[in-house]
Amino acid sequence: MSPSADPDPRQFGRPLAFALAAAVMMVPANVLPVLRTRVMGEARTDTIFSGIVALWDDGLWGIAAIVFVASILIPVLKLLGIAWLLREARVHARLRARRDTRLYAILDFIGRWSMLDVFLVAFLAGAVQFGALASVEPRAGIVAFAAVVVLTVLATDSFQPHWLWPDAHPPASPGRPATAPSRS
Amino acid sequence: MAPYQLPSPLSSARGQSLLGCPLCGFTHAAVPLAQGQRATCVRCGTLLCARGRLGPHAPAAFALAGLLLAWPALSLPFITVAKFGNFRPTWLHTGAEGLWNGGMPVLGTWVLTCGILAPLLLLGLLAALLAGDTRGAPDLHRQLLRLARSLAHWAMPEVHLLAVLVAMIKLGALVDVFIGAGFWCYAAMSLMLVLAWRSFGFEPSVSTTDGRRDPAP
Ligand SMILES: [Zn+2]
Repeated sequence: MSPSADPDPRQFGRPLAFALAAAVMMVPANVLPVLRTRVMGEARTDTIFSGIVALWDDGLWGIAAIVFVASILIPVLKLLGIAWLLREARVHARLRARRDTRLYAILDFIGRWSMLDVFLVAFLAGAVQFGALASVEPRAGIVAFAAVVVLTVLATDSFQPHWLWPDAHPPASPGRPATAPSRS
Repeated sequence: MAPYQLPSPLSSARGQSLLGCPLCGFTHAAVPLAQGQRATCVRCGTLLCARGRLGPHAPAAFALAGLLLAWPALSLPFITVAKFGNFRPTWLHTGAEGLWNGGMPVLGTWVLTCGILAPLLLLGLLAALLAGDTRGAPDLHRQLLRLARSLAHWAMPEVHLLAVLVAMIKLGALVDVFIGAGFWCYAAMSLMLVLAWRSFGFEPSVSTTDGRRDPAP
């Protein structure tokens, strides 16, 4: 394993394809309803965004903020971040490599939290089943949203952060010691 | 919780052990670590290795504790919801079942995988890797490690927990909600998985033989 200083641009194809597919799936994920709630014969359907607005209107600001971050902000930031990293790897922005590697680590970490909305809809659909009194049903938007989450995770997974750096393994390098051990 | 990456010992040059940074790929000479110490990549700052304060058996203890908690987490009531005196107990798998019954079997299976199956399998794999020493069989050890890393991408019990907490607050206006013993066991199991995975990966005594990146469970 000896990544060259200039990665083959064809390697960028996989993360780019996953990111583009995720961007396309974001349209149905945000336009289609994800949930249908019926309470005492009164029904309403919610998209991801209208669900967040309903939480906000009910005074549940903290919860609305959590769902907004997980369901809208993180997927958008991940896509923008992957686009930025692909650009950086392509233009060989070595001076920013350390900062870009931190960005990659953050994108890799935050992606899983987007699954929150999928678990949320699943739990509501399973728990709230009181016949005519109250019921919750999942709607097609949540399938599209789950696809966005999986595709963005696959996009960051297929991006290799060593593309951001010059030659990762200098030939015949005996290796430099890692930084002096520090107390964690 | 910071993302967790396994460092990758590359080869031994003249008996010297080398560590490759899992993010930037930079090669380092291994340094001996005392308990509580950690080593970071000189180039990108990524944590390469950390020796926990709890000793080398801590990851196995966490993994076994997680496995023991899995049974009550699965079998005891998770959350009970009530409306006008109608009580409806739910179990850990009720969410996936709700999607199945709602005509979304694939998504239901996916939720079951990320919330239950992958965390359980990961705990089992960690316990197998730590308790039964597979390093005598390098091929098996490598395959189990690779499987553990793939599973760790999709094992999301902590995200599942947060979603259930959000759902309970959201449901507060609609129905009455009671937390069951299964919920607490699942929360404890999730914590054990995170602790086992983190301490497992950062322990420099755990040898790895390839250089793939690892996700955070
Ligand atoms: Zn590095």
